[in-house]
Amino acid sequence: MTYQMTTRQTFVLFPIGEKRFAVPADQVNELAPHQKFDQQEQQRFPHTTPLLTGVVVRRNQIVPVADVAPVLIGPQVPARRFYLIVTLNMEGDANRMAIPVSGECQLADAEQLPLTGKLPPYVSGLLSIHDEIIEVLNLDLLMSAEVHA
Amino acid sequence: MRLSQSRRALRAKAVALETVILFWAGGVLFAIAADSVEEIREVAGLQKLSLGVAHQKFAKVTHTLASDGQNHFVVDACAHFGMRSGQGSRLMVLRHAAAAVMVDAVDRMQDIHSIQALPVAFRGVERSWYRGLTIVKGKVVPLVRPEAFLTRAEASLLQAALRAGETTARSVAVTA
Repeated sequence: MTYQMTTRQTFVLFPIGEKRFAVPADQVNELAPHQKFDQQEQQRFPHTTPLLTGVVVRRNQIVPVADVAPVLIGPQVPARRFYLIVTLNMEGDANRMAIPVSGECQLADAEQLPLTGKLPPYVSGLLSIHDEIIEVLNLDLLMSAEVHA
Repeated sequence: MRLSQSRRALRAKAVALETVILFWAGGVLFAIAADSVEEIREVAGLQKLSLGVAHQKFAKVTHTLASDGQNHFVVDACAHFGMRSGQGSRLMVLRHAAAAVMVDAVDRMQDIHSIQALPVAFRGVERSWYRGLTIVKGKVVPLVRPEAFLTRAEASLLQAALRAGETTARSVAVTA
Protein backbone atom coordinates (compact mmCIF):
# COMPACT_ATOMS: atom_id res chain seq x y z
CA MET A 1 0.00 0.00 0.00
CA THR A 2 1.34 3.48 -0.83
CA TYR A 3 0.43 6.76 0.77
CA GLN A 4 0.39 9.97 -1.18
CA MET A 5 1.89 12.95 0.66
CA THR A 6 -0.66 15.72 0.77
CA THR A 7 -0.16 19.32 1.85
CA ARG A 8 -3.83 20.28 1.76
CA GLN A 9 -4.69 22.86 4.38
CA THR A 10 -7.71 24.88 5.32
CA PHE A 11 -7.54 28.57 4.48
CA VAL A 12 -9.78 31.54 5.06
CA LEU A 13 -10.25 33.51 1.85
CA PHE A 14 -11.14 37.17 2.24
CA PRO A 15 -11.72 40.00 -0.23
CA ILE A 16 -10.09 43.38 -0.18
CA GLY A 17 -11.55 45.35 -3.05
CA GLU A 18 -11.66 43.20 -6.18
CA LYS A 19 -8.91 40.87 -5.03
CA ARG A 20 -9.03 37.90 -2.67
CA PHE A 21 -6.29 36.86 -0.27
CA ALA A 22 -5.87 33.86 2.02
CA VAL A 23 -4.54 33.12 5.49
CA PRO A 24 -4.28 29.72 7.20
CA ALA A 25 -7.58 29.04 8.98
CA ASP A 26 -5.86 28.22 12.27
CA GLN A 27 -4.79 31.87 12.51
CA VAL A 28 -8.37 33.15 12.32
CA ASN A 29 -10.49 33.61 15.46
CA GLU A 30 -13.63 35.19 14.10
CA LEU A 31 -15.19 37.37 11.46
CA ALA A 32 -16.94 40.32 13.05
CA PRO A 33 -19.22 42.73 11.20
CA HIS A 34 -18.67 46.41 11.72
CA GLN A 35 -21.55 48.58 10.67
CA LYS A 36 -19.95 51.59 12.26
CA PHE A 37 -16.52 51.21 10.72
CA ASP A 38 -14.40 54.34 11.04
CA GLN A 39 -17.16 56.16 12.87
CA GLN A 40 -17.75 54.92 16.40
CA GLU A 41 -16.70 51.33 16.79
CA GLN A 42 -13.04 51.74 15.93
CA GLN A 43 -11.41 53.94 18.51
CA ARG A 44 -8.34 55.98 17.81
CA PHE A 45 -5.59 57.56 19.87
CA PRO A 46 -2.21 59.01 18.92
CA HIS A 47 0.53 56.55 17.95
CA THR A 48 3.26 56.22 15.33
CA THR A 49 3.04 52.55 14.26
CA PRO A 50 2.51 52.09 10.52
CA LEU A 51 -0.65 50.23 9.38
CA LEU A 52 -2.39 50.44 12.77
CA THR A 53 -5.46 52.66 12.60
CA GLY A 54 -7.00 52.19 16.04
CA VAL A 55 -8.45 49.57 18.33
CA VAL A 56 -11.73 47.72 18.74
CA VAL A 57 -13.08 46.03 21.84
CA ARG A 58 -13.89 42.35 21.30
CA ARG A 59 -14.98 40.11 24.19
CA ASN A 60 -13.68 42.65 26.70
CA GLN A 61 -10.26 42.68 25.09
CA ILE A 62 -8.72 45.63 23.28
CA VAL A 63 -7.67 44.48 19.82
CA PRO A 64 -5.52 46.64 17.54
CA VAL A 65 -6.82 47.26 14.02
CA ALA A 66 -4.32 46.84 11.19
CA ASP A 67 -5.43 48.24 7.86
CA VAL A 68 -3.29 46.23 5.46
CA ALA A 69 -5.35 47.16 2.37
CA PRO A 70 -3.11 50.03 1.18
CA VAL A 71 -0.11 47.66 1.22
CA LEU A 72 -1.99 44.89 -0.60
CA ILE A 73 -3.97 46.78 -3.23
CA GLY A 74 -2.69 50.36 -3.18
CA PRO A 75 -4.22 53.63 -2.08
CA GLN A 76 -7.67 53.18 -3.69
CA VAL A 77 -9.16 51.27 -0.78
CA PRO A 78 -12.87 50.38 -0.88
CA ALA A 79 -15.15 50.42 2.16
CA ARG A 80 -14.66 47.51 4.53
CA ARG A 81 -17.55 45.66 6.11
CA PHE A 82 -15.96 43.12 8.43
CA TYR A 83 -13.07 42.64 10.77
CA LEU A 84 -11.14 39.43 10.37
CA ILE A 85 -9.85 38.75 13.87
CA VAL A 86 -6.59 36.83 13.64
CA THR A 87 -3.91 35.64 16.03
CA LEU A 88 -0.37 36.67 15.24
CA ASN A 89 2.82 35.56 16.87
CA MET A 90 4.47 38.79 17.96
CA GLU A 91 7.52 38.87 20.21
CA GLY A 92 6.94 35.23 21.09
CA ASP A 93 3.36 35.76 22.25
CA ALA A 94 0.04 35.15 20.55
CA ASN A 95 -1.66 38.48 19.95
CA ARG A 96 -4.99 39.21 18.37
CA MET A 97 -5.35 41.68 15.54
CA ALA A 98 -8.37 42.96 13.64
CA ILE A 99 -7.99 43.28 9.87
CA PRO A 100 -10.71 45.20 8.01
CA VAL A 101 -11.90 43.28 4.91
CA SER A 102 -14.37 44.20 2.18
CA GLY A 103 -16.81 41.30 2.24
CA GLU A 104 -17.72 37.85 3.45
CA CYS A 105 -14.99 35.29 3.94
CA GLN A 106 -14.89 31.73 2.69
CA LEU A 107 -13.28 28.57 3.98
CA ALA A 108 -11.36 26.54 1.43
CA ASP A 109 -9.37 23.31 1.56
CA ALA A 110 -6.54 23.71 -0.86
CA GLU A 111 -3.00 22.73 -1.57
CA GLN A 112 -0.53 25.55 -1.20
CA LEU A 113 1.50 25.96 -4.38
CA PRO A 114 5.12 27.10 -4.32
CA LEU A 115 5.84 30.72 -5.07
CA THR A 116 6.44 31.64 -8.68
CA GLY A 117 7.69 34.91 -10.05
CA LYS A 118 8.56 37.94 -8.02
CA LEU A 119 6.16 38.40 -5.14
CA PRO A 120 6.33 40.57 -2.04
CA PRO A 121 8.09 38.96 0.96
CA TYR A 122 4.83 38.68 2.93
CA VAL A 123 3.32 36.28 0.35
CA SER A 124 4.11 32.79 1.62
CA GLY A 125 2.42 30.75 -1.11
CA LEU A 126 -0.30 30.61 -3.74
CA LEU A 127 -3.64 28.83 -4.01
CA SER A 128 -5.34 27.89 -7.23
CA ILE A 129 -9.09 27.82 -6.71
CA HIS A 130 -11.49 27.72 -9.68
CA ASP A 131 -8.96 29.32 -12.01
CA GLU A 132 -8.28 32.08 -9.51
CA ILE A 133 -4.75 32.44 -8.13
CA ILE A 134 -4.91 33.64 -4.53
CA GLU A 135 -1.94 34.89 -2.53
CA VAL A 136 -1.46 33.33 0.92
CA LEU A 137 -0.34 36.03 3.33
CA ASN A 138 2.21 35.75 6.10
CA LEU A 139 0.55 38.27 8.37
CA ASP A 140 3.39 38.25 10.92
CA LEU A 141 5.74 39.37 8.17
CA LEU A 142 3.22 41.79 6.70
CA MET A 143 2.97 43.50 10.07
CA SER A 144 6.69 43.50 10.76
CA ALA A 145 8.62 46.74 10.64
CA GLU A 146 11.14 45.43 8.12
CA VAL A 147 8.54 45.20 5.34
CA HIS A 148 7.65 48.86 5.68
CA ALA A 149 11.13 50.18 6.41
CA MET B 1 -16.40 28.39 52.79
CA ARG B 2 -16.39 28.54 49.04
CA LEU B 3 -19.26 30.98 49.01
CA SER B 4 -17.47 33.41 51.33
CA GLN B 5 -14.34 33.17 49.21
CA SER B 6 -16.20 34.01 46.04
CA ARG B 7 -17.92 36.95 47.77
CA ARG B 8 -14.54 38.19 48.88
CA ALA B 9 -13.30 37.81 45.33
CA LEU B 10 -16.25 39.78 44.04
CA ARG B 11 -15.65 42.55 46.58
CA ALA B 12 -12.00 42.66 45.59
CA LYS B 13 -13.02 42.97 41.96
CA ALA B 14 -15.23 45.95 42.70
CA VAL B 15 -12.39 47.82 44.41
CA ALA B 16 -10.91 50.43 42.12
CA LEU B 17 -7.43 49.75 40.83
CA GLU B 18 -6.62 53.44 40.87
CA THR B 19 -8.13 56.86 40.42
CA VAL B 20 -7.36 58.76 37.25
CA ILE B 21 -8.04 62.21 35.88
CA LEU B 22 -9.64 62.14 32.44
CA PHE B 23 -8.61 64.98 30.17
CA TRP B 24 -9.08 66.00 26.54
CA ALA B 25 -6.34 66.98 24.12
CA GLY B 26 -6.81 67.29 20.36
CA GLY B 27 -10.24 65.65 20.55
CA VAL B 28 -8.87 62.53 22.27
CA LEU B 29 -9.73 61.48 25.82
CA PHE B 30 -6.71 60.49 27.93
CA ALA B 31 -6.26 59.36 31.51
CA ILE B 32 -3.47 60.20 33.95
CA ALA B 33 -2.99 58.83 37.47
CA ALA B 34 -4.62 61.30 39.84
CA ASP B 35 -1.76 61.04 42.34
CA SER B 36 0.71 62.26 39.71
CA VAL B 37 -1.09 65.61 39.40
CA GLU B 38 -0.31 68.27 42.00
CA GLU B 39 -2.73 70.92 40.80
CA ILE B 40 -5.14 71.75 38.01
CA ARG B 41 -5.25 75.44 37.16
CA GLU B 42 -6.07 77.95 34.49
CA VAL B 43 -3.48 79.04 31.95
CA ALA B 44 -3.07 82.57 33.30
CA GLY B 45 0.38 83.77 34.40
CA LEU B 46 2.46 81.83 31.91
CA GLN B 47 5.74 83.11 30.50
CA LYS B 48 6.30 82.46 26.80
CA LEU B 49 9.36 80.29 26.22
CA SER B 50 11.37 80.72 23.04
CA LEU B 51 14.54 78.72 22.78
CA GLY B 52 15.20 79.28 19.08
CA VAL B 53 15.83 76.86 16.25
CA ALA B 54 18.68 75.14 18.08
CA HIS B 55 16.15 73.53 20.40
CA GLN B 56 13.51 72.35 17.92
CA LYS B 57 13.08 69.07 19.78
CA PHE B 58 11.66 71.07 22.67
CA ALA B 59 8.98 72.68 20.48
CA LYS B 60 6.35 70.98 22.66
CA VAL B 61 7.54 73.08 25.62
CA THR B 62 5.81 76.38 24.99
CA HIS B 63 5.82 78.30 28.28
CA THR B 64 7.16 78.35 31.81
CA LEU B 65 5.09 78.64 34.95
CA ALA B 66 6.41 79.97 38.23
CA SER B 67 4.44 78.39 41.03
CA ASP B 68 5.29 78.14 44.74
CA GLY B 69 8.86 79.21 44.09
CA GLN B 70 9.34 76.47 41.52
CA ASN B 71 9.69 76.81 37.77
CA HIS B 72 7.63 74.39 35.67
CA PHE B 73 8.04 73.83 31.96
CA VAL B 74 4.67 73.81 30.23
CA VAL B 75 4.29 70.96 27.73
CA ASP B 76 1.57 71.27 25.09
CA ALA B 77 -0.14 67.86 25.25
CA CYS B 78 -1.21 68.05 21.59
CA ALA B 79 2.36 68.74 20.45
CA HIS B 80 3.65 65.95 22.70
CA PHE B 81 1.32 63.42 21.06
CA GLY B 82 1.96 64.79 17.55
CA MET B 83 -1.57 66.15 17.15
CA ARG B 84 -2.76 69.46 15.81
CA SER B 85 -2.74 72.11 18.51
CA GLY B 86 -5.81 72.31 20.67
CA GLN B 87 -7.35 75.05 22.77
CA GLY B 88 -5.03 74.73 25.76
CA SER B 89 -7.42 75.94 28.42
CA ARG B 90 -6.19 74.02 31.49
CA LEU B 91 -2.87 73.19 33.09
CA MET B 92 -2.13 70.02 35.00
CA VAL B 93 0.88 70.71 37.19
CA LEU B 94 2.67 67.39 37.68
CA ARG B 95 3.84 66.18 41.06
CA HIS B 96 7.56 65.36 41.50
CA ALA B 97 8.35 66.80 38.08
CA ALA B 98 9.36 70.11 36.57
CA ALA B 99 6.50 69.92 34.10
CA ALA B 100 2.96 71.16 33.72
CA VAL B 101 0.81 69.81 30.90
CA MET B 102 -1.44 72.11 28.86
CA VAL B 103 -4.64 70.30 27.88
CA ASP B 104 -7.87 71.32 26.16
CA ALA B 105 -10.13 70.38 29.06
CA VAL B 106 -10.19 68.34 32.24
CA ASP B 107 -13.19 66.02 32.13
CA ARG B 108 -13.47 64.39 35.56
CA MET B 109 -11.91 62.05 38.09
CA GLN B 110 -12.71 58.41 37.57
CA ASP B 111 -11.98 55.11 39.33
CA ILE B 112 -10.67 52.50 36.94
CA HIS B 113 -10.82 48.78 37.57
CA SER B 114 -8.41 47.39 35.00
CA ILE B 115 -5.47 48.40 32.86
CA GLN B 116 -4.67 46.43 29.73
CA ALA B 117 -1.10 46.51 28.49
CA LEU B 118 -0.63 48.38 25.24
CA PRO B 119 -0.86 45.63 22.58
CA VAL B 120 2.62 44.68 21.34
CA ALA B 121 1.53 45.57 17.80
CA PHE B 122 2.06 49.18 18.86
CA ARG B 123 5.79 49.52 18.37
CA GLY B 124 6.43 53.25 18.09
CA VAL B 125 7.15 56.02 20.54
CA GLU B 126 3.66 55.43 21.98
CA ARG B 127 5.20 52.63 24.06
CA SER B 128 6.85 55.35 26.14
CA TRP B 129 3.78 57.61 26.11
CA TYR B 130 1.31 55.12 27.58
CA ARG B 131 1.29 52.84 30.64
CA GLY B 132 -1.55 50.93 29.06
CA LEU B 133 -5.17 51.23 28.01
CA THR B 134 -8.29 51.26 30.10
CA ILE B 135 -11.98 51.15 29.24
CA VAL B 136 -14.25 53.86 30.63
CA LYS B 137 -17.94 53.45 29.80
CA GLY B 138 -17.11 51.41 26.70
CA LYS B 139 -14.50 53.87 25.48
CA VAL B 140 -10.85 52.89 25.18
CA VAL B 141 -8.74 55.48 26.97
CA PRO B 142 -4.93 55.57 26.86
CA LEU B 143 -3.38 55.90 30.31
CA VAL B 144 -0.43 58.26 29.94
CA ARG B 145 2.96 58.03 31.62
CA PRO B 146 3.42 61.38 33.41
CA GLU B 147 7.21 61.15 33.23
CA ALA B 148 7.08 60.91 29.41
CA PHE B 149 5.85 64.50 29.04
CA LEU B 150 9.25 65.79 30.12
CA THR B 151 12.02 63.49 31.25
CA ARG B 152 14.52 64.56 33.92
CA ALA B 153 17.20 64.76 31.23
CA GLU B 154 15.02 67.01 29.07
CA ALA B 155 14.24 69.24 32.05
CA SER B 156 17.97 69.54 32.84
CA LEU B 157 18.72 70.48 29.22
CA LEU B 158 15.97 73.09 29.25
CA GLN B 159 17.26 74.56 32.53
CA ALA B 160 20.74 74.76 31.02
CA ALA B 161 19.39 76.38 27.83
CA LEU B 162 17.50 78.92 29.91
CA ARG B 163 20.56 79.73 32.02
CA ALA B 164 22.67 80.13 28.86
CA GLY B 165 20.02 82.46 27.44
CA GLU B 166 20.04 84.58 30.61
CA THR B 167 23.85 84.78 30.58
CA THR B 168 23.83 85.90 26.94
CA ALA B 169 21.16 88.49 27.63
CA ARG B 170 23.17 89.84 30.60
CA SER B 171 26.39 90.04 28.58
CA VAL B 172 24.57 91.81 25.75
CA ALA B 173 23.20 94.32 28.28
CA VAL B 174 26.67 94.92 29.76
CA THR B 175 28.23 95.37 26.29
CA ALA B 176 25.48 97.77 25.27
